[in-house]
Amino acid sequence: MCSGAVGALSNYIERAGVATTTISLIKEQTEKVGVPRGLWVPFPLGRPLGSATDPEFQKGVMRAAFDLLSTATGPTIADYPHEAPDAEEAGHWACPLNLAPAEDDTSLGGRLSSEVARLKTWAYQTRAERGRTLFGASGAGRDGIDAVTAALAHIAESGDIADPPPGEVEWAFPMPLLIRHLADDLRTVYHEAIAAQPGSVAPNHDALNDWIFGGTALGEALTRVADHLTEAVAEDPVAGLVRGFLIPEGRYKGGSAF
Amino acid sequence: MLARAEAMPTIEPAEWVSPVPIEDATVAIISTAGIHSASDTPFTFGAVDYRVIPGDIDFADVVLSHVSTNFDRSAFQTDPNISFPIDRLREMADAGEIGGVARWHYSFMGAMPDPSRFEDTGTEVGQMLAADGVDVALLIPV
Repeated sequence: MCSGAVGALSNYIERAGVATTTISLIKEQTEKVGVPRGLWVPFPLGRPLGSATDPEFQKGVMRAAFDLLSTATGPTIADYPHEAPDAEEAGHWACPLNLAPAEDDTSLGGRLSSEVARLKTWAYQTRAERGRTLFGASGAGRDGIDAVTAALAHIAESGDIADPPPGEVEWAFPMPLLIRHLADDLRTVYHEAIAAQPGSVAPNHDALNDWIFGGTALGEALTRVADHLTEAVAEDPVAGLVRGFLIPEGRYKGGSAF
Repeated sequence: MLARAEAMPTIEPAEWVSPVPIEDATVAIISTAGIHSASDTPFTFGAVDYRVIPGDIDFADVVLSHVSTNFDRSAFQTDPNISFPIDRLREMADAGEIGGVARWHYSFMGAMPDPSRFEDTGTEVGQMLAADGVDVALLIPV
């Protein structure tokens, strides 16, 4: 829905006399909402400038958007003609890490904890190399991987989607919305861990979800939490929204979680 | 998402703006990726408010609290410029391709079925951009 949002914002900003040029990822939304100058790009959601490894490609998209400022004389939506460089992301991808749990480690919480422990070392390598991380938006802070893991495991195992998980952390969100951000923080650890694998091509959105929802303890925990949210919807409609934002399209019992 | 597009309103266009040449323009980024400084307040469901992103932001200080799960964060984790190209703007300013980089940029969270709800805050941001001498806003969804 972000393409509709930037479309509306472009019209509101132009009211102040500031010229706008707007990237669109979903052309139908841009056409419906309307923009002064729009550049539709043939890239997936999450990649509006096409490439995370090619600064010149990013600038090419920006130049095309800026060109509309001198060429358009009325509302215009142009198509960007170049596909993103496809060598950098794979749709068919297998995680090179062995995440099989230890034999005595059979509870969901135990398996999640064991899985994260294996990934954490790699994730910290990526963080050190990048000098940054997106981890911590839940309120756990940059070093709160264990606290986030324990919190999600507690919610999955207890089914309590109303009370904040036990522990010392001052979470940045109330329950059940916090669940959404616990999931994102843990996904960050998983993404960072695989980014540290030497020589591997990065997986695309679908390949990432194939991996996470196709056999990891994280995917199992998120699905179990989604089931708990379903049970709570009658009493708390927000639970249904959180479920929709927790599991990507097509990944909850083969369909949408909304 | 096509169904959601049909349900969206058409926004009344503003009076047409003829900008200065891009080589002379001060440019600001408006992102709907839900990014903000780690110390800033995260976005929540239905948020129509915005966060201010300083032009000298260090990506080490940036987090993202966008609620949608239908884009993965891996590309942004690899290079935040893919959604918030502040380094690219700096390079283009150094090369003389644009006039300059604005001091302040703005971040919204775009997960909003009815984007007309951004009218008040979007108008406010437009006024702040104008007051700050910004000529061109580059709007980038996620």
